[in-house]
Amino acid sequence: MLKKTLAVLAAILIPVTASAMTADEIVNKANLASYYAGKSGRSDVKMTITDSRGRTRNREFRILRLNESPGGEQKYYVYFKKPADVAKMVYMVWKHVGTDDDRWLYMPALDLVKRIAAKDKRSAFVGSHFVYEDVSGRAPSADKHELVGEENNAYKIINTPLDKDEVDFATYTVWIDKNNFMPLKAEYLDENGELIRSVEALEIKDINGYPTVTKSLAKDVKRNGQTTMDFENVEYDIGIDDNVFTERYLRRAPAKWIR
Amino acid sequence: MLRKWIEVAANRPKTIMLVCAIAVLAAVFQFPRIKVDTDPENMLSPKAPVRVFHNKVKKEFALYDFIVLGIVNTKNPDGVFNVDTLGKVYAITEKIKKIDGVIDTDIISPSTKDNIIQEGLGTISFDWFMPEPPKTKEQALAIRDAGKEHPMFAGSIVSEDDLALSIFVPIQRKDISYTVAQKIRQITDEFPGDEQYYITGQPVAQDQFGVEMFKQMAISAPLAGLVIFILMWVFFKSITLIIAPMVVAVITVLITMGLLIGFGFPVHIMSSMIPIFLMPISVLDSVHILSEFFDTFKKYNNRKDAILAVTNELFTPMLYTSLTSMAGFVSLAFAPIPPVQVFGVFVATGVAVAWLLTMLFIPAYIMLMSEKSLENFGSDHNHQQQNDTKGIINHVLNLTRRVSVGAHKLVLTLTLILVGVSVYGISLINVNDNPVRWFGYKHPIRVADRILNNHFAGTYTAYYVIEAKDKNNAIFIEPEMLRWIEKLQKNLLESGTVGKVTSVADIVKKVYYELMEGDKTYKVIPDTRQAVAQCLIQLENSNTPDDIWHMTIPDYTKGVLWVQLKSGDNQDMEKVRQFVDNYTKQHPAPFDVSTGWAGLTFINVVWQNEMVVGMLKNFLGSFIIVLFMMLFLFRSPIKALISMVPLSVTIVFIYSLLGFVGKDYDMPVAVLSALTLGLSVDFAIHFIQRAIELNDEYNSWTKTAIEMFHGPGRAILRNALVVAIGFLPLLAAPLVPYQTVGFFMLGIMFVSGIGTLFILPAIITVNPKAILAHTDKGIGCKCSHCVLTSLFVGGAAAYVLNEFTAAGWNTITTVSVATVVILGTSCFFASKRKSCFSNKNKGDQ
Repeated sequence: MLKKTLAVLAAILIPVTASAMTADEIVNKANLASYYAGKSGRSDVKMTITDSRGRTRNREFRILRLNESPGGEQKYYVYFKKPADVAKMVYMVWKHVGTDDDRWLYMPALDLVKRIAAKDKRSAFVGSHFVYEDVSGRAPSADKHELVGEENNAYKIINTPLDKDEVDFATYTVWIDKNNFMPLKAEYLDENGELIRSVEALEIKDINGYPTVTKSLAKDVKRNGQTTMDFENVEYDIGIDDNVFTERYLRRAPAKWIR
Repeated sequence: MLRKWIEVAANRPKTIMLVCAIAVLAAVFQFPRIKVDTDPENMLSPKAPVRVFHNKVKKEFALYDFIVLGIVNTKNPDGVFNVDTLGKVYAITEKIKKIDGVIDTDIISPSTKDNIIQEGLGTISFDWFMPEPPKTKEQALAIRDAGKEHPMFAGSIVSEDDLALSIFVPIQRKDISYTVAQKIRQITDEFPGDEQYYITGQPVAQDQFGVEMFKQMAISAPLAGLVIFILMWVFFKSITLIIAPMVVAVITVLITMGLLIGFGFPVHIMSSMIPIFLMPISVLDSVHILSEFFDTFKKYNNRKDAILAVTNELFTPMLYTSLTSMAGFVSLAFAPIPPVQVFGVFVATGVAVAWLLTMLFIPAYIMLMSEKSLENFGSDHNHQQQNDTKGIINHVLNLTRRVSVGAHKLVLTLTLILVGVSVYGISLINVNDNPVRWFGYKHPIRVADRILNNHFAGTYTAYYVIEAKDKNNAIFIEPEMLRWIEKLQKNLLESGTVGKVTSVADIVKKVYYELMEGDKTYKVIPDTRQAVAQCLIQLENSNTPDDIWHMTIPDYTKGVLWVQLKSGDNQDMEKVRQFVDNYTKQHPAPFDVSTGWAGLTFINVVWQNEMVVGMLKNFLGSFIIVLFMMLFLFRSPIKALISMVPLSVTIVFIYSLLGFVGKDYDMPVAVLSALTLGLSVDFAIHFIQRAIELNDEYNSWTKTAIEMFHGPGRAILRNALVVAIGFLPLLAAPLVPYQTVGFFMLGIMFVSGIGTLFILPAIITVNPKAILAHTDKGIGCKCSHCVLTSLFVGGAAAYVLNEFTAAGWNTITTVSVATVVILGTSCFFASKRKSCFSNKNKGDQ
């Protein structure tokens, strides 16, 4: 009994002594650094989807973001500019921690606002190889985190989901920059330990004092394709009002914020 | 030259044996390199436009060949939509995902596909049809209702009658479909209960056919060999002696297959039939020799003299029967179908090998037999020693002679009536094929095909591709275009030729309808292209975002209609194509588009059409070649024409049976025409050649006829019986093409045997002198012969021009008529030559 207790204690203590921080602390800091920079934010995204046949298609949209509290609720407003046929289409997400998000869709051609039951945060984001969770962040509380070492000045953490049925992977490994806590790369593995998907920050710049991903790449091994996102005109603390993120503004986009 | 070799063979039998043994060993050493190809797609050259297009379409729309697993439950009141069965479907799908070679992301099953549905007021939801196995009856029924509401599922995954559900399993390559199907069978075996499981789909049928074909090869060829062996024993009563033809057959098959494999050709559905084709041909040759040897041995009572006399006598007819068989098969090399070319060339090679072996191996073998074993052998030349079978055969032959010679007018009249009736029968022939029908009616593949096509909208898929000519025109989001497609689909369905058609239009309608809260008035295409594009992009947020790209491409300039047919018959596919052709002509698309067909069901139509038409042309070609060979052999156009009579009667009769019985003219039948031609001329060659020789001797048709119905007649009858009965077991084979071969062998042997023994003597009796006269002089000396020959040449010219040039019909007529006139005129002068008049009395009178 004593031996067992000691072993458990050792297991808990050794990683702590090996590194100054626990895996949970690192993941929490990374979550804040990558998804909660500033009180609010804005960026123009150019998305290039390359499918398994090597065909590419482009999408352009603006993302507006507002944080309720660091690490807590967030609101996103995604306004489409291109392609022309879907221009003015809007997706709005109220991200909740611990429960399903609220999602809305506005289709200008039908002048129709719909709620989307967002049961699955792992479904594709407008046909790209990014999933909704890549865009709005995965709750650190959804996984068990284990710091397995350091590589190239980055923490290497293996994350195992607590609810296996909710996700399409078995584990994922993430590399987090030791200096600014930006996630550099995430690799999603299946139960056989084979790579099925990866998301990588290709370029990180300092904008308004916040380290910011300005180019990222998602590769999907199963769908055999990849998507890049270029972030332009990034700005933080833009002073956007909470009522922009309401159904009312889906039909009538707030000119000030989308131009 | 070769005649000398026969003597050498008789003198040095051991050397011949050694050479044969080395050849066989060399051939057998090639066998481990065997490559098997059971893909009917390879019936077309990889460069064939339809295949190139098919592969492009498959790649562009990520379309795969599917194995269809059908799950049927007729015992549960809710059919397959009960907790237990759906649980099994879920578990089976999970296991299928793990099979090697299965494209797991594109499996179509309730648990692998996303649905868009209403979820409360103003909310839509994307979720799997069956995210997990249902726990209650209500959940199970909800899956049924959702499936029936979805255009991708209704009728193809979920049956109208609720009794069946199917899983479409895409595979990476067709040649693994049998292996994958076997693994699926193992999986379903783990889930016994009220459910029946059926596996079908074009690739499985084809691949399984390949597998069973090889099994059949291993059963049918040896079985035929055994029966032939027994029959020969009945005739010749000497095991040692009759081993020889069997050895010749086996060596022929081994060497030919060794050559085929050695040259790196894959063993295809066609080439796997080479052994079964070569068996009768090689047995026929040696039986002729043995039969004559058997009849004349007593006369010489010295095997060397006897065998040399026999081979000398039979040399020319055997050479020509082999050459005609080769001509029939070599002509297949001009068919536009690569496996048929290989088949033709190698059967022809095999015929040559069989001929060489018969000429060299048989004499050597006889020389190596112990004198003792020959002691009681052979028929007494004075017909004193009679056993039962021989008595019957002699009796039959005598009767035949009396009828054919005595009542020749009656025989000829009956022949004419038979030909007339046969021509009518041929007009009834139905050209059609369907690889699934190559299996017997009770074969599991046929059963699965029937049952699943009874429950579902069709397991045969063809793809109709529509592409904007303007590469910047996104027609597949244009409402006008989608409405046109919608109407085309509706008309196609109403025409009754298809079970289901699915396109982007259905998907757009489904999304629009769900977005508009399930209001039926919105089960239409929305009014603007923006609305269409915005509906479609919603699907890209689902769990299966790439599904839409199986129906259109990301720039929306191209799309494909999934056409499901309940039958894989060429005729049915052809009807669909014609319907679409007519419809699109009468109702052109609102934009400038190009269209095309792809899919295995369609590819089959293309190669089978090429095959049938190609075979017919080839058949005419080889008919002409054989005619010229006969001309060369007999040096008389009249004899040549007469020798073609039994063959022609045989062909029209056998093919008319297809028409009367209602059997489709399909791929195996088409190929058998080559065999029919090659084999059915054989007896006539033997008969006429021998008749001429005997007539020279006796100078009397009556005497000749009596003698003809002894030696040569008996050889023909024996041959016909041996081969026809030898191939009877094939009629019980589970694969239809084997049954067809059996039927044809029976038909060819009986009809050409009877044709030769009745019709030829009857024709000769009309004017024995003219027909049997020995022609020393060239054809040019007799004006009528020469003109007749000119007609042949003219006909051949017309055929060749029609076949191998793009010349129009008028040009062809002009050229061929001119050929006949020019040659005919030169005939007039040629026959007046001096050289023709010297020794005229000895020549043709």
